[in-house]
Amino acid sequence: MLPSSSSVVVRRRLFVPFVAFAIIVLASAASTQRQRFFADDPIAREPESQDAAKAAPYEIKSIYEMVSNLFGTSGYTPSGLRAKELNTVDEVPDSNWFTNRIGTTPISPEQLTRGPNVGVPPDPSRWVLTREKTSGAHPGFTARDAKGETWFLEFDPPYYDEGATGAVAIANKIFWALGYYQVESFITSFDPSKVEFDPKATLRRPSGARTKFTKDDMNSILERVAKKPDGTYRVVAGRLIPGKILGGYLFAGTRPDDPNDLVPHEYRRSLRALRVFGAWTNLTDLKAANTLDTLLTENGRTYVRHYLQDVGSTFGMCNDEHEWDLSHEYFVQTDTTRKRLFSFGFALSDWQTIPYPEWYPSVGRFEGDRFDPRTWHPQTPTTAYMETRDDDAFWAARRIALFNDELIRAAVRAAQFSDPKAEKYLGDVLIKRRDKILSLYLTAVNPIVNPRLDGNGRLTFENAAIAAGVAKGQPTYRASWMIFDNATGATKPLSSNDSQTTTLAAPAGLPTTTGSYIEVDISADLQTYPTWKEPIKTFFRRTAQGWQLVGLERLPEMVGPEHLLEREKK
Amino acid sequence: MMRSVSLLKLFTAVVIVCAAAGVATAQTPEPTRREAIEQEQAEKAKNLHPYVLTTTERVLNKFEDITVNGVMKWHPFFDCAYHGCGFSPGVGYMAHVSPYNLLDMRGNYSILGYKKIEAEFIAPRIFQRRGELSLLGGYREATQVAFYGFGTDSLRSNRANYLFKQPYASGLLTLWPTRKLLMLRGGVEYSQWALHPGEGSFPSVETVYTPQTLPGLGATINYLHTQGTVGYDWRPAKDYARRGGYYGVTLHDYTDNDEQFGFREVNYEAIQHFPILREAWVISLRGLAQTTSTKSGQQIPFFMLPSLGGGHNMRGYESYRFRDRDSLLLQAEWRIMVNRFMDTAFFYDTGKVAGRTRDLDLDGVTHDFGFGMRIHSPFSTPFRVDVAKSPEGLMLVFAGSAPF
Repeated sequence: MLPSSSSVVVRRRLFVPFVAFAIIVLASAASTQRQRFFADDPIAREPESQDAAKAAPYEIKSIYEMVSNLFGTSGYTPSGLRAKELNTVDEVPDSNWFTNRIGTTPISPEQLTRGPNVGVPPDPSRWVLTREKTSGAHPGFTARDAKGETWFLEFDPPYYDEGATGAVAIANKIFWALGYYQVESFITSFDPSKVEFDPKATLRRPSGARTKFTKDDMNSILERVAKKPDGTYRVVAGRLIPGKILGGYLFAGTRPDDPNDLVPHEYRRSLRALRVFGAWTNLTDLKAANTLDTLLTENGRTYVRHYLQDVGSTFGMCNDEHEWDLSHEYFVQTDTTRKRLFSFGFALSDWQTIPYPEWYPSVGRFEGDRFDPRTWHPQTPTTAYMETRDDDAFWAARRIALFNDELIRAAVRAAQFSDPKAEKYLGDVLIKRRDKILSLYLTAVNPIVNPRLDGNGRLTFENAAIAAGVAKGQPTYRASWMIFDNATGATKPLSSNDSQTTTLAAPAGLPTTTGSYIEVDISADLQTYPTWKEPIKTFFRRTAQGWQLVGLERLPEMVGPEHLLEREKK
Repeated sequence: MMRSVSLLKLFTAVVIVCAAAGVATAQTPEPTRREAIEQEQAEKAKNLHPYVLTTTERVLNKFEDITVNGVMKWHPFFDCAYHGCGFSPGVGYMAHVSPYNLLDMRGNYSILGYKKIEAEFIAPRIFQRRGELSLLGGYREATQVAFYGFGTDSLRSNRANYLFKQPYASGLLTLWPTRKLLMLRGGVEYSQWALHPGEGSFPSVETVYTPQTLPGLGATINYLHTQGTVGYDWRPAKDYARRGGYYGVTLHDYTDNDEQFGFREVNYEAIQHFPILREAWVISLRGLAQTTSTKSGQQIPFFMLPSLGGGHNMRGYESYRFRDRDSLLLQAEWRIMVNRFMDTAFFYDTGKVAGRTRDLDLDGVTHDFGFGMRIHSPFSTPFRVDVAKSPEGLMLVFAGSAPF
C-alpha cells in the first residue's frame, strides 16, 4: 500500500526540526566532549570534591602481595598507556598523593635537612612504652616521649650500626623533596634506664592474646639491636601520622571506597616514578605495607591522604646482611631462576661479582660503579613499576637532576653518622647513581623542556639533557607550527623552521584572537640520540597577555615496547 | 523546483541552528577540567563499596595468619612414627595454654600401617628466654622395620622385618646460657619397647634369628633414657642455613629396669656450611660418629644399635640398611641457590657401621651420591626431594626438613 499524501507532508515537516535538533546535539557534544583543553588547563592541583568519610580500613597482607607480584605482576604486559594523573603539560599536579616541591620551588640544603619535619623533635629524657612497633623490618617500639607525644621508634640491627636509622633519616628527606608525603622523623636516643611502661601497654603474643608489656619484652628487643658504649641506643623516631589509619595502598587499581581516587594507581606517574627514584636510593621494598592511607578531615570535608610511609629499606639496608642479590633481581625471577637452575650456578649473576671495596655498617652494600638503572630490581615488581614509560622516567630524572652535590650531601648529613668517611661514601655513591640515571633517562626521549612563546612570537625552550651535562653536541632544533582547533583536534600546518639554538621565531600568520590555539612540534636532531627526532607536541593558547603553554606531550598516548622500561632488562 | 525549495529550507535551518548553537556555546561558561574531574568523582561516589578480597587473597591471608602470625590450631602432621614408614598423613591440634606455652596433640597413620599419637607441651621462653622445655607423651607403632643383619657388608637380600610398639613419656630441656652459640640440652625419657613379629612382604625377624643370635628379639624392655648435649651452634637456623656450623657431643644412657639391655651411646656431630660466591653456592659438610658401650653383663638390643640408611643419612639406601655397635657417617652437599625459595644440591654420602669403635675408619665404607631440590624459607625446609644412587640402586627421598 502506498503512503497517503498527508503522511508524506507530516514527514517533511518533521524532517527539518529533527536535523536541526541532531545538529544542536552534535555541536554541543563537540564543544564539550571533544574539546582537548579546558579553560583552567593546566591544573595545578587535582580536585578532590567528594567526601571520603566512608573509606574504611583494610589490610593488604604481605604474603598475598608478594605472591601476587612475584607470580602475577611479573608476567604483566604493560599497556604502554600514558600516565593519567598528569595535567595537560605533562606534569603531576599537587594532590593528596604528591606535592610538587623540588623543581617548582628552590630547596636549600637547610630546608632539605629539615625535610617534612615541622614539629619539635621528641624529648628522649623519658620514654613510656605503649606497644610494639607496627611496621618496618627492624625492631622497635611505640612509645610516648617526655612531652607525652606518641612516636614509633626503630633501632639499628648490630650489623648495620647507625645504618637502618640513618637510611630512614636520609630517604625521608629525599622522598619529601621529591614530593611524597612523609612521616616526620628524627634521629634521637633511647636510654633503657629512663624507660617506663604504660600500665595499659600490651604486646601481642604467639597465642594471639595481648598481654602486659614487660621489661623482659623490652630486653628481648634490645638484645637484637646495636648498643652504644654508654648503654643507650640510637633510634629514629617517627611521629604519629594524623588522621584515621586506613592501611596501605596497592600499586594498581583504586580504592573502591574513596570517591576521589579516580586514577588507577598503575597510571599514577608519582608511583611509576618510584622505579627511578627507587633505583637511585635503592628503595627495594616497594609494597603496600610500606605505604599508608589516612583519613583526614579539614574544613568539614574528609579526604584520604597517601603516605609513602616506610622508606627505610634504602641504600644498603636489607632485612639481613647476607641478602647479596637484593636490588639485582626479584625474590623469584624467571630468567635468573632458569639460568642458575640449568647452569648449576656457574652462570654468575652481577651481584656475585660486584666489588664492595669499602664497608661501612652505616651504609651497607650500596655502590655506584656497577649500578645500572636498567637492571635495578625491587624485591617484587608492582604494576606501577611495570607500567613505567620513558616519559615517566624522564620526568623522574629531571627531579633527580635538581639534587646537586650540595643537596645530596645535606640529605646524607641528616643521618648524623659518627663516621665522616661513611657519610662521604654514601654521598659519593648517590652522586654516581644520580649521574647514571640522568645519562640514561634524560637522553632516552626528546629532552626539550620549558617551552615558552612570548608576545613577540619568539619560541624558547631548554634541552634538559644538555643542561644536565649528560649529552654533548649541538642539535638542530626544528619547530613545525600549526593552527590547532581545540574543539575538534584538527590542525592546519603553517610552516616549519630550524635553529641551532634553543630559540625559534614564530612564522607569520599566527592567530591573534584570544582563545585560539596553536600546536608547535619541536624535535632535535643529533646523531647520537635518534629518539630526539620524535617531536614533543606543545600547545599554546592565545590569551590577553600573550601565549600560554597549555599542552605538552612528550610521547604519544600509547607507546610500543621501545618506550617501556620493561624492555631494558631484556 | 519543489526539491530546491526544501533544500533551501533545510540549509537555512541548519545555518540558523548552527549559529544558535554557537551563540549558546559562547554564552555558556567554558567548561573546566576541574568540573570534568569533579563530575567523575561524583559519579564514583554513587558506587562506593568496601574493599573486596579475591578468593586467592582470602586463602593467602589465611595462610599468612597460620604460618606467620602463629594462630594455627589444626595443622597437618607428617612426622612419622619411625623412619621408613612411607607417606604418613596426619593431623594435629595446637592450643596455647598461656601467651607462649602451648599444647600440641597430634597423630598420623602411614601407608605401611605405622601409627603415632602423642601430646607435647612446649614452653619456649623459660629462664628469661634462655631455655625451652618440652614434655612429650605418646604411643607409636612401627609395623615393618627393616633388619639386614650386622655390618656394612650385610646383604640386602637378608632383609627381615620386625614390629615394635612403644609408649613413651619424656622431658627435654634446652638451654642457651648466653642466648646464642652455646647450647646445653638435657633430657629424660621413660619408655617401653615391645618387639613383635614384623609385617610386610619380608620374613619376620623371629623366623630368621633367635634371641640368642639377635639380642632383644621378642623382648619387652622398659628403658629409663637420659641424655645430655653440649653444642656450639652458630647457624642462622637449624633447618635452613647457608653459613655457620654446629659442633656437639651427646651422651645417652639407657637403663633397663631388668638390667639386661642397658647401654650407653655417644654421638659426635659436626656440621659446617661454607658459603661461596656470596652464598649462591654452599658447600655443606656433616660428620656424625655414634659409638655404643654396654653396661656390665648386659647387651644392646639390635633395634637400638646405631644405623645408616634413609632419607637423612645414607640416602641411596633403605632406612636402617646397616646396623652395628658403632657408625660413621660423612656427608657433603654442594648446594646451589636457584632463587630465594629454592635450592638444588649435589650430594655425596659415605659411611660404615662397625662392631668396634677403632674400626670406624674409611676402609670399607659404602657410599651414594645424588641430586636434590629443596623448597625453603629463610629458616626452614618444608619440602625436599632427593634422588640418590647407591650400588643397591636408585632411591627417591621425600622429606619435610633439611638433610642436615
